[in-house]
Amino acid sequence: MSNRFILASLVTALAVGACGGPEEPQVAPQPTGPTAEELERMRQDSIQRAREEEEARLRAEQERREREAAQRAEAARQTLREPVYFDYDEAALRSDTESRLRAKLEVLRANPGVRLRMEGHADERGTSEYNLALGNERVESVVRFLTGFGLDGGRFSTVSFGEERPAMQGSNETAWAQNRRVEFVITAGSDGIVGQ
Amino acid sequence: MTMPDGGRGVGVCAAVARGSRVAPLLVAAVAAGAAPSAGGAQNAVPGVELGLTYENVYLPPIAILPFRDAGAGRAPAAGVQAIIARDLDYSDRFVVIDSLPEGLADEGVQYELWDQYGADWVLAGHLEEIAGSHYLALELHDIVFTSVERGRFPIPPPGDPDFRMAVHRISDTVVQWVTEEPGIAASRIIFAMAPFGNSTAKEIYVVDFDGEGLRRITWDDNIAISPTWSPDGRRIAYVSYKSGLPRIYELDPVTGNERAFDFGREGQHLTPAYSPDGSELAFTILNEGLFSWDLGDDCCLRQLVEGPANNIQPSWSHDGNRIVFVSDRLGVTTPQVYSVPSRGGEASLVSPYRFGQGGYFADPDWSPRAGQVAFAGGIANRRTLARYHIFVADVGTGDRRLIQLTREGNNEDPSWGPDGRHLVFAGERSDGHGVFVVDSATGRTRRVVAHVRASDTDWSPSLGSGGAGGMR
Repeated sequence: MSNRFILASLVTALAVGACGGPEEPQVAPQPTGPTAEELERMRQDSIQRAREEEEARLRAEQERREREAAQRAEAARQTLREPVYFDYDEAALRSDTESRLRAKLEVLRANPGVRLRMEGHADERGTSEYNLALGNERVESVVRFLTGFGLDGGRFSTVSFGEERPAMQGSNETAWAQNRRVEFVITAGSDGIVGQ
Repeated sequence: MTMPDGGRGVGVCAAVARGSRVAPLLVAAVAAGAAPSAGGAQNAVPGVELGLTYENVYLPPIAILPFRDAGAGRAPAAGVQAIIARDLDYSDRFVVIDSLPEGLADEGVQYELWDQYGADWVLAGHLEEIAGSHYLALELHDIVFTSVERGRFPIPPPGDPDFRMAVHRISDTVVQWVTEEPGIAASRIIFAMAPFGNSTAKEIYVVDFDGEGLRRITWDDNIAISPTWSPDGRRIAYVSYKSGLPRIYELDPVTGNERAFDFGREGQHLTPAYSPDGSELAFTILNEGLFSWDLGDDCCLRQLVEGPANNIQPSWSHDGNRIVFVSDRLGVTTPQVYSVPSRGGEASLVSPYRFGQGGYFADPDWSPRAGQVAFAGGIANRRTLARYHIFVADVGTGDRRLIQLTREGNNEDPSWGPDGRHLVFAGERSDGHGVFVVDSATGRTRRVVAHVRASDTDWSPSLGSGGAGGMR
């Protein structure tokens, strides 16, 4: 507001100055009003302030956009990292597992540079060494699902931990359900990820 | 909830009363094509009918006379005797009598007297010092056939790391004298478990066959699993995730030296198994199949079984001609045990699979002495919590019977001892997890290590002097 006021008075002052003709030099009240140099400096200051204000506004807008893009990217990373879960002694994909994988699929399609490591896990029931095979089978189910939608299998590396790295300690269904899972680690393209 | 005739904490038997032991064994006869009995459907192994039978096993009484010291011997005779008495008890081949009435503990063995007393064997011993070294001189008297076997064995001083193992080797010699079969005393058991205070890691541990000397042998602070002994007992192969992916390493347990196998093929390398002559290492590459590596030339990957199903847990037959393994080619929920020629060929089912009835069989281990294969089997229908028990199938004779060796808790990872008669396994009981040994002939079970959550148990061969016998 104050800038606009100064501009307005400046225009007025210039207009007043332009009205004064050489015929009546003695009439003008000489000691009052800025000199031409002062007026010019005030004009320049005002332009500078306007420019800085505009730049600040653009910067804020840019920052807001970047912040939102970063939030979307982080959401996309979260989507990719979200574990998927399985039923007891099964490697088949549950419906909730499939919807999580579909969400990952969108992110992976939008970000061809992103690579994932998938880690298969089992609960403690069953023999420990066969659980390595079961964890592997769960990972392979996930890979088959994603490559079935046309994604390049070369973007995925896999490892099975069997029952050796539980997400939750305990010998009860709550812990077991948390432990029958595939986890996802972004191994490349995490920084440049684009969210939707 | 203790085992039948549970041997927990059994030292030496104090009485003769344990004469002939009768041990219940579950024998499962395959009902080929026959309908399973309706009553037993709940806990039945698919394709198998379980029937409770009893086998009488005669255990000859052996009396142990008090061992005599050689003057101021450094190896106390009583300590040596206690180790041998317990070893003979744990062999499950005798009833051990070492608490003798006055008059029978005297010098001189009167055969008629011992015959009346009921002893089949009498063991006498004394320590000798010859040129600064100590020896145990043993006499084994055969009371029935009135003959005697004698031997003199070097014994290191009690502080020596090989002391106990040296005494165990003497025990095995006594078993050999009596039964003409190998003993199990001079042996060790390896397994994986979480180290104290770090539940997310797994390390390899070793323990003497009698539960003494438990110690840790890997320090990776990562996941170390599936340890297995080389047939000479001098090396241990195991799987570690320390590189990020599961790979196979070979450890010398005496020096701690270790090397990583480079098979020239990427992937997840699992479940190693040495061939009985030590010339090859069979193992799994996930998603690719079973492979064998030539250890002599350190080269030459050879494919034994092809994917794409999971094919894991190879175990060689005693003669090296066949390999048993686990495959989920019939479905991920029904892993089964198969046998395949080690030079390649058709795989045949070992476990009792019947179409449509599921079943879960894993952890096969081929006996070092005969055509017997032990494995773990899940017993459940789809609605009940699975229970895992140890079974033995005789693949040598074609006798389609399964023997069930455990009846309570959960049990996995069976591994034969050097006598081809005892098995070690990882068990879970109502009072906790542990490492157990079961005698497949008598059914007698004892807890080797209590209150540890062990997995991937593997029993060594007989450990000779030097090598892993003197492992610190």
